[in-house]
Amino acid sequence: MIKHEHLSLKYMRREVLPTAFCPGCYNGIVMNALFQAFEELGIYDLRKYVFVSGIGCSSWIPSPYIKADSLHTLHGRAIPVATGVKLANPELEVIVIGGDGDLASIGGNHLLHAARRNMDLVVIMINNLVYGMTRGQAAPTTPKGMVTPTTPYGNPEEPMDVARLIANTNANYVARWCVSQYLFLKNSFKKVLGEIKRGFRFIEVYAPCTTFVIRRENKTPGQKLKELMNTCIGYEKWEKLPAEERTKHIPTGVFREEDKPGFLDNYKQLIARLKR
Amino acid sequence: MKRMFLSGNEAVAYGAIDAGCRFYAGYPITPSSEIMHMMAKLLPEAGGVFIQAEDELAAINMIIGASWAGLKSMAATSGPGFSLMQEGIGYAVMTETPLVIVDVMRAGPATGQATKAAQGDLMQTRWGRHGDQYLVVLAPESPQEAYDLIIEAFNISESLRTPVVFLMDEFIGHGREVVFRKEPGEIKLVERRRSSDHEPLFGSDDPRIPPPMPRLGEGYYVLVTGSTHNEYGYRDVHSFETHYKLVRRLKEKIWGNIDKVFKYEVIGDPGRAEKAIVCFGSTCRSAKEAVMGLDNVLLIRLITLWPLNYDLLRELLSNVRLVVVPELSLGQLIYDVQQVIDSGIKVVGVNKVGGGVPIYPSEIKKALEV
Amino acid sequence: MFKIAYLGRGGQGIVFAATLTAEALYEKGYYVAQLQNYGASVRGGSVLGYVVADHEPIKNPFIEEFDIIVVLHEEGLKRWKRLVEKSKKIILDKKLVKTNIPGAIKAPLSTIAEKEGVYQALNIVAVGAVFSILDIEGIDKVIDKLLQKRKNYEVNKKAYMIGKRSFQHHNH
Ligand SMILES: Cc1ncc(C[n+]2csc(CCOP(=O)(O)OP(=O)(O)O)c2C)c(N)n1
Ligand code: SF4
Ligand SMILES: [Mg+2]
Repeated sequence: MIKHEHLSLKYMRREVLPTAFCPGCYNGIVMNALFQAFEELGIYDLRKYVFVSGIGCSSWIPSPYIKADSLHTLHGRAIPVATGVKLANPELEVIVIGGDGDLASIGGNHLLHAARRNMDLVVIMINNLVYGMTRGQAAPTTPKGMVTPTTPYGNPEEPMDVARLIANTNANYVARWCVSQYLFLKNSFKKVLGEIKRGFRFIEVYAPCTTFVIRRENKTPGQKLKELMNTCIGYEKWEKLPAEERTKHIPTGVFREEDKPGFLDNYKQLIARLKR
Repeated sequence: MKRMFLSGNEAVAYGAIDAGCRFYAGYPITPSSEIMHMMAKLLPEAGGVFIQAEDELAAINMIIGASWAGLKSMAATSGPGFSLMQEGIGYAVMTETPLVIVDVMRAGPATGQATKAAQGDLMQTRWGRHGDQYLVVLAPESPQEAYDLIIEAFNISESLRTPVVFLMDEFIGHGREVVFRKEPGEIKLVERRRSSDHEPLFGSDDPRIPPPMPRLGEGYYVLVTGSTHNEYGYRDVHSFETHYKLVRRLKEKIWGNIDKVFKYEVIGDPGRAEKAIVCFGSTCRSAKEAVMGLDNVLLIRLITLWPLNYDLLRELLSNVRLVVVPELSLGQLIYDVQQVIDSGIKVVGVNKVGGGVPIYPSEIKKALEV
Repeated sequence: MFKIAYLGRGGQGIVFAATLTAEALYEKGYYVAQLQNYGASVRGGSVLGYVVADHEPIKNPFIEEFDIIVVLHEEGLKRWKRLVEKSKKIILDKKLVKTNIPGAIKAPLSTIAEKEGVYQALNIVAVGAVFSILDIEGIDKVIDKLLQKRKNYEVNKKAYMIGKRSFQHHNH
């Protein structure tokens, strides 16, 4: 009998399984999509990949679950640490995985500037609409009106559309997919790991927190996933919607795609000029 | 040796390059910016990398990443930026990341007086971060010493796998003096111990010997975390034993190596002296002039400010009846002195801060007359 | 040992006067220390720049009594009057410094600089004045070399020579 093993296992540290994520957490879908992308690209060993994360549930994906070098850094500081790693050794592929709070709130400034520099990093932001790890408080991505422990009367603030914000910078690649759009998500991962191999590549994954968003809506993760299939639509379609319809949908797709030189190419050029 | 005319800030940059520093990230701030300007010029020529960070939070974290990728790394700043760097320095302590952080002190708190020398960050270098954490703090008194000592700072950071804070002030940073720059062959460099198989990267039987440190990408599947971790890097955020063992080891790594890292200078005879001066940094220059010709005064200049050899300080001060502590602050080093002397011995602070006015030899002399 | 200070107002090039003096003495083989105290802004505010030079390494660069201090603006005295009064030889610009200090020499440096068309290089006139007093062999050649490396060589050179001469005229 051939024992059939899940493809993700070969990229994971088995000794720390099962993961500490809540049952039904969408982080697992993101991990599978990422590992499937590696497998389809024929990358079976991640020793030349360095994963950098901050603090949050999503930041636990690489640390300790992915079998590769990983730096689990301070809350919000994954991007600068990743920048240091990449600049010090350009041979390494450096991937940041983090939450919406980590990357867009406390680390928001680093995100903007790494994008402006077109820094040679892949950044995967899991937007679960809240601060999952600290029990579901409002994040900069929390929809207006949503009730959380820090917005007991409904969130008075407008959320931030992180992907479209970054699409307005100098980044090489910017996309957003819902967890319900698994194939698109996996293909985006393949794109930034196998094809566009330089510059700033940002992928937002819309993945509401099972425990602090979906359960509060009295839904199961399965029900929510089905619902997301209607909620998440291509942004061209979304743009044609009337204003009141727009707020009910999430525009997804590839917002930006280029293969221009990243920070390192430009830096190398500067060095070459210096030597001449 | 090459004779040069350099500011302390320039001397730090040349020293860092000569020590093998190949990565610098920083954010401009007076009175430290010249270090950044120099590194921007020197590093690309030396095959290193320079980056201007978006803020000091980014700067400290970039050098942490670069250090794990294998490069000797440095950032320089002043009070406001040093405050922002604290969380990153704490992370570097917890993850045993070798780094050098230069703080060119100006008068604070807050924005204070950007161009005016001060020594008010002393306690912050030791205790500025949360939790039980220890690192090494060095303080030169002149541009020449800034050059020589920054090389030592890199050597200590590499050999103990620790961040080292290099504490200067505006007088040293901006003051220009003759500096002799060494030739490559004249410098002894220390490199971090690289990994051998199976040796844990975050634990050692003898806490005084830091664990080895691989470069990222060498196939060790390194797990680095600022959360409490066991000797293999796995997070363990619940157990008493794991946490206690880790912070005890990190403390012992610094204090257990005090003989190697504690540097000081003594002028005078501890056996005969009735009075003493205890000082650090540029202030000692005035103190040295003040004691010229006075054979009953002992001068103790602390070059290493942390860990501090309290036993030695106690012994040196055991015969005196008066200690003068000049500081460009309202007094911080004075607490160290008060800790080691018997009650009944007088301790007098000469405190002056702001306006960029130094403590003059005459003021120290006057305090000695008590 | 030489202890020389320049005092004035932001924008007068006080720090450069100290730099030129320090670098010249450095080139002559001295151990030198150069420090300054200035406001954050370029214009206005007092600026003090000074130099200590010796054949031995400098023990203490924090000087209380200067051998020579040249004061080019009233503004500087507001802050550093006590320091000026302790100096051995005090040179006050006749026109730009109103305050009288007992024993000080009032020299018309700015007046002559203006007449000769080198007013913008008054700081270098002051350096010339200092070296006319110190009289270090071969210093003019070193100064010339240092000025050649910088902008406005002609004006600066002229200013230096005026400083060297004018001061002697008015004191001997
Ligand atoms: C400086 C700092 N402030 C606050 C915290 C507490 N904290 C830990 S995780 C977190 C929020 C995480 O949210 P997010 O990044 O969205 O990740 P998620 O858990 O939702 O995946 C916060 C506020 C911290 N660790 N550090
Ligand atoms: S709190 Fe939310 S994001 Fe965190 S593990 Fe649970 S379901 Fe996932
Ligand atoms: Mg979140």
